[in-house]
Amino acid sequence: MHRGRTIHIASGERTLVAIDGFAVAPQQITILFGESGIGKSLIAKALYGILDPEELTVTIDGMSYEQYRSLPETQQLQAESFFVFQEPSTHLNPLMTLHEQLNEGSLAAAPHEAEILRRLWSASLEEEVSALLRLYPKPYRPSGGEKQRMLLAMAFKKMDAIIEAGKGKNSFFVFDEPSGSLDNTYRDVFLEMLFDRYRTAPMTIVLITHDYSTIGTIYEHHADLLPRMIFKELRLDGELRLHTFAPKDYLRWLDQLRPLAHASREAALTIEPEVHVHGRLLRITRDPQGREPCTMAVPYGGLVYLKAASGVGKTTLVKTITGLVRPQRMRARVAGQELDERTPIHVWRKHLWGKMMTLVFQHADEAFNLESSVRGVFAGLPIWRKRPAPSLDRILSDLMSEATVLSFLDKKVKQLSGGQKQRLNLVRGMCLDTTLLILDEPLNGLDFESAGKVIQMVQRKQEQGKAILLISHNEDIFDRIVPKDDIYYLHAVTSA
Amino acid sequence: MKAAPVWQRKDTLWLAVWIGGLTVLGLWDVAFLNRPALLRLASASWNTAIIGCAVVVCAFVFGWSSALALHALDHAGRRWGYFVVTFFLNLIRSVPQVVGILLGYVVLTLLIREEMVGSQTTQLMAIALVISIFVFLEVTDLILERIRYFRKLDFFDAMLVSGVRESRIINLDILLRNSRAHLVHKAIQLFGSSVFLLCSVDFIVSVGLSTDVSLANFPPTLGGLLATMDSKQDILAISTVLTDPLSAPRLLLEHLQGISTAFTIVFTLLCVFRMSSAFVARRRLE
Repeated sequence: MHRGRTIHIASGERTLVAIDGFAVAPQQITILFGESGIGKSLIAKALYGILDPEELTVTIDGMSYEQYRSLPETQQLQAESFFVFQEPSTHLNPLMTLHEQLNEGSLAAAPHEAEILRRLWSASLEEEVSALLRLYPKPYRPSGGEKQRMLLAMAFKKMDAIIEAGKGKNSFFVFDEPSGSLDNTYRDVFLEMLFDRYRTAPMTIVLITHDYSTIGTIYEHHADLLPRMIFKELRLDGELRLHTFAPKDYLRWLDQLRPLAHASREAALTIEPEVHVHGRLLRITRDPQGREPCTMAVPYGGLVYLKAASGVGKTTLVKTITGLVRPQRMRARVAGQELDERTPIHVWRKHLWGKMMTLVFQHADEAFNLESSVRGVFAGLPIWRKRPAPSLDRILSDLMSEATVLSFLDKKVKQLSGGQKQRLNLVRGMCLDTTLLILDEPLNGLDFESAGKVIQMVQRKQEQGKAILLISHNEDIFDRIVPKDDIYYLHAVTSA
Repeated sequence: MKAAPVWQRKDTLWLAVWIGGLTVLGLWDVAFLNRPALLRLASASWNTAIIGCAVVVCAFVFGWSSALALHALDHAGRRWGYFVVTFFLNLIRSVPQVVGILLGYVVLTLLIREEMVGSQTTQLMAIALVISIFVFLEVTDLILERIRYFRKLDFFDAMLVSGVRESRIINLDILLRNSRAHLVHKAIQLFGSSVFLLCSVDFIVSVGLSTDVSLANFPPTLGGLLATMDSKQDILAISTVLTDPLSAPRLLLEHLQGISTAFTIVFTLLCVFRMSSAFVARRRLE
């Protein structure tokens, strides 16, 4: 395992991953960063031996995948191990209840189930967890966060069983984006549970993530484990390489982030504190507890940060403001245009979309026509009606190197990595030059370097006097560039 | 995944079989069929193919336009407009295709008699127009279903809030870029059903449903040719092979008009059906 592997994964004639010297240190915690879609999961799955040779052509150290999977060391690795998939739905069996799956095979005899569940949910929700355990997984229920916590519970049960059997030394655990559907509170609970077990019995752990704010939590709460941690980053510099990542660079970068002072108090967007939508009452407040409802104002040149726990309705609220979701009640004003529940859709179409406001969607994968080329993404935008028309190369160069731009202008969007799609998503929103820009999780799937560039672009927009409304779980970063007065909280109060 | 070579794509293979089969038949007919019959067969085959293709084009024009109109009325909240257009389309839907085309033939006959539809090309286009009126709703339904499916996806909303015109998103991004395979499949299906409907209606008309509507007024098609006395006798000659198997070779030399016509129709429908099914399987359109 500690030996560097040469891994090649192809689909037909298309190479998906080609990397030399990929190593995982035994009995250490490897934290693997890298932008979304760069190949982190594929490499981990290839090493673990769970890729489908019918679908993909895999060679490891020149061996065929069949040969690699039949090696004694690969089989031993699979015996005392667990792989937590990025997309929990693919891991859960729809024909078994969650309770049955939580007690399947070697997990049946594993100890501490109740305690694990209590920590991963919360003691007050015990009844809800019992009801959840009786469910068969469906696409819409349990929620993404519940499925993810259920998978983590399985992994922790397996860990506890291995620890009790004294086999920790040879065990191997892969956590692929384990907190992708969790908010920061539960992410921190997960890290605490994982590291507590590691302190008891050091195992080989690979933690794949693009959430760099994990570093802050580790330095703050688990600094004792730093000597046992290896930080790596996968980067595509012409070819895919595994680089050593210096977590202190990230912390230093965080320290130098400062909010910009905005001159104007005139608001580009105001929205009254209560919005009824989808049968729910959403309330905007100044305080995290939800006691002080207030009108949210996004001033020209200002950056306003809207916070809420997962699933409260942040995305629903911004879709309501942008006219994509029809509310039962709302009062808002965008660049002088009054908006409410009776405003006809053509007002948004004629006066607002792409001119006064735009929204950068959370999931870049879903925000594009995947069959379109990169050039096609920009073809219908209103920017080309301006004179002089901007250059596409220049627009893209804000977030991409010149070489990248040239190589991918005519590629189909579906061929881009997740990180490239997210950058394209941001560039499309930002190039529109709208008065109000709404960013929904703008740092999703980006590597450290790109995240830095995005922050610069956001602050440049502020300097140009644009109003920006932001939703993000990257509190580490945005708390530093948003003044405290411009932070709001969203609460789902009750059924409307 | 690497695309399969042409010879492994069953739909392309069936296209090749169709073209190859008709070419062999054509060469055989050139060698053994008498010249007047050969000219009749060639003319009927071309006319049938031209009508089939024209039906596809007309059905797409009608289907595309009606689907966009329905979508626009629906989303603009114009309930009355939506209701009227839906009612009109459902009225067409309620008429059995064969009955509708027969009624269309009655109108066509009147137009031909009044010399309002004169040249053969105009007559062919008029027949195609009549058939397409009773098949274009399949295109309307397909397009509406594709728009409905893609409207639910975030990319539609993401493009709208970026200021991209809705008409561009629907026509270019949803229909041309994401539904091309569905549209090609529908075109294959429509070609097959238009050949089938044309031959059926021409055959029905030829047995004399009306003194006004007569195939003598219309350009020759395969259905009409099959209904001529010569062709019927050729087809009946097949039964002699059952009692006298040694007479089989004579069928291919002396009864060629009827047998070639029948073969062309059946072989075309079979190949189009196979092409359509193989295309669905290859492009995973189920």
